[in-house]
Amino acid sequence: MKKYLLFLGVALCATFCVNEASAQIKLGENGGQLSVSLDSNNIYYQEDKKLEEFNMDNKREKEFGSNNYLKVDYGIKRFSAGLQVDAFLPALSGYDISKHKFSSTYNTAFVALYAQWEHDSWGIRLGDIYDQFGNGLIFRAYEERALGFNNALEGVRFHYNYENYLNFKVLAGMPRIYDEVSDTLVWGGDLSLSFSDMLGWTDGLVSIEGGYIRRVLNNDETIVNKNHYPAKEFKEDVLNMISTRANFEYAGFSLRGEYAMKLNEDVWGANDDPAKGNVINIDFGYNYKRFSISGTFRRQQNMATPIMLTMYDREKHHIDAGAPVSGIADFGGGNSLNYIPLLTRQHTYSLASLNPYLGCATTTGGEIGGQVDIYYSWRNPKVRGKYWNFHANFSMFNSLDYTDPFGDEIKGKNAWIDANFDVERQWNKTLKTTFLYSYQRWDKEKSIAPKAKYVESHIFVGDVTYKINKKHSLRFEAQYLCSDDYEGDWVAGTIEYNFAPMFSFYVSDMWNCEETDYNYEQLNDKHYLMHYYQVGATFTHSNYRAQIAYGRNRAGYVCSGGSCRYQPAYTGVNFALTITF
Amino acid sequence: MKKLMIMMLALFIGVSASAQTLPDVKVENQEGKVISVRDLVDGTPMIISFWSTTCKPCIAELNAINESLYEWVEEVDMKVIAVSVDDARTLNRARSQGNNWEDLICVYDKNQDLKRAMNVNLTPHAFVVDGNGNIVYSHSGYTPGSEIELFEKIKALK
Repeated sequence: MKKYLLFLGVALCATFCVNEASAQIKLGENGGQLSVSLDSNNIYYQEDKKLEEFNMDNKREKEFGSNNYLKVDYGIKRFSAGLQVDAFLPALSGYDISKHKFSSTYNTAFVALYAQWEHDSWGIRLGDIYDQFGNGLIFRAYEERALGFNNALEGVRFHYNYENYLNFKVLAGMPRIYDEVSDTLVWGGDLSLSFSDMLGWTDGLVSIEGGYIRRVLNNDETIVNKNHYPAKEFKEDVLNMISTRANFEYAGFSLRGEYAMKLNEDVWGANDDPAKGNVINIDFGYNYKRFSISGTFRRQQNMATPIMLTMYDREKHHIDAGAPVSGIADFGGGNSLNYIPLLTRQHTYSLASLNPYLGCATTTGGEIGGQVDIYYSWRNPKVRGKYWNFHANFSMFNSLDYTDPFGDEIKGKNAWIDANFDVERQWNKTLKTTFLYSYQRWDKEKSIAPKAKYVESHIFVGDVTYKINKKHSLRFEAQYLCSDDYEGDWVAGTIEYNFAPMFSFYVSDMWNCEETDYNYEQLNDKHYLMHYYQVGATFTHSNYRAQIAYGRNRAGYVCSGGSCRYQPAYTGVNFALTITF
Repeated sequence: MKKLMIMMLALFIGVSASAQTLPDVKVENQEGKVISVRDLVDGTPMIISFWSTTCKPCIAELNAINESLYEWVEEVDMKVIAVSVDDARTLNRARSQGNNWEDLICVYDKNQDLKRAMNVNLTPHAFVVDGNGNIVYSHSGYTPGSEIELFEKIKALK
């Protein structure tokens, strides 16, 4: 707590000082420019007897959690440099950094630095590197604060482009894993060649691209996987991966394909069998006026790419020298060099995202499937204030055949289906309504049992925004989830009042309103009628944004950008602050 | 403590700061071609708004701007850039959605280079940029009606 206050004090002072400086001192273009941002998210966890009684997993593990990010960038002409401080004081509940540290109350901070020089046709960057090759199937160094992931490469990157059609980059370094730099070495390069630009064809785009990544683990121990029966031994040092891509666009039509593979055997997800992996990803799209359709097909097998395989740094992780090291240590979702996201629609309504698809590649190593989106906007060109927006979306994913840790063959089967339809209607300047229907079917057995157990649900959402006048508006949201399986029916509602551009207030509630066999068995009492309520307020003024909320939060998955993390249930006060200059 | 020292040092260096200008970062346009953000600076003031397909208030803001822009341009010469920060998961969906805003210029920042360079933490986040590429105002979050504030800032540039 003290550390947190100190951090916040210094950070606030820093951001305010800069604000003053930038407001008062104007040295013109030559002085360069400074930019600072602070992002702080804090929760006071309250003791909630009812929640604990409901499920022992809901026991409060700490009183306070705080994730903070301070970023300072300075640029002058072609040069720029900066730093980012990530401080977890300690990390909020449910962030995978706690898994990595084997402690939920560990205070930690990481300072990342970079310096960069950008010339007309080339550039070099030292330090913290964020980059990706193609779709990221073999390499993506990125930051996702909502999930607490950061696998930026700490190293060097050089890029060069010739005319406007040849782009080339090489990079090398050690990936970050949460708040430390791993001792895994990664290097590689990526090249793209645009034929359309080379030939001066401006109506469309034709390009080919390719990339290579090599991961070298600093690991001289033989890994014994005791989860496997009988126990397996393997030694893993080097992984080589390549990616090939082709892109085509013409007259509103686009087709992009990427095929990536592991060139040698590597350990993978569930039962750690050494295997080669590959993935194919095809995106297509077509736009005509206000109609558009897009879709993705993807098949992947054994494409997990952990940055760290085992707890080989025995000292750091307090492991006895003689103890055997077993399997992939659970370092959480941030332990990945590549990025193969879930492709299903990410819903923003709470009941539609109550049981999101979590992927079957993590449990069985393989997945095949795809998704399609169709958008249509209907409006009278003369009357802008009125329109209809239609959106339909469908996705389906199946697991591939796989051998479980006991040597049993499990056939591939359907893991997830969803179909969504939503329509948005702007009636006039003051009234807007949205209706969403979502059908979802998922396998409770996570594809690892010989037979799937499907849970089906139908979700209905109505959302009305009413603008009282130029500044005041009200929003109502009602949701109902209808299901005969699992937890049965759920209901949720929200009321929001906005006073533009500064204030926003909301109240919401959500509860499981039906008793089912599952509830009765799991929860052994009538506590399924527990309410997950929230009240909150947001204040925004130019670059400042403060948000405060109080409520009870259900355990579940928080997803952002195609990855998810488990969020344990909690009751408490959440205070978030964002400042940018 | 050492970390704090580094932080303070960096801040001292930067006391000479002046008005922010638009960074020189590469993004993709609606057709998938790589363009430089600086190329968008052509003497016309603009609103740059960061959004993603999973951010409902962002889409509400851009819908509202798209509704009003044809009226705004009659009063003052301006343009609106919608920067999608969607990654590989939702990029395709973002391109489809972006197609619906006929008056906005959509660009795609798939590895969030521009988002990082402009220090955007939360979406929606909108910037008002003058004709020379200087950032004169920014605002994060959206409440129905707050787009008018952005337009007022553009008008004040005259």
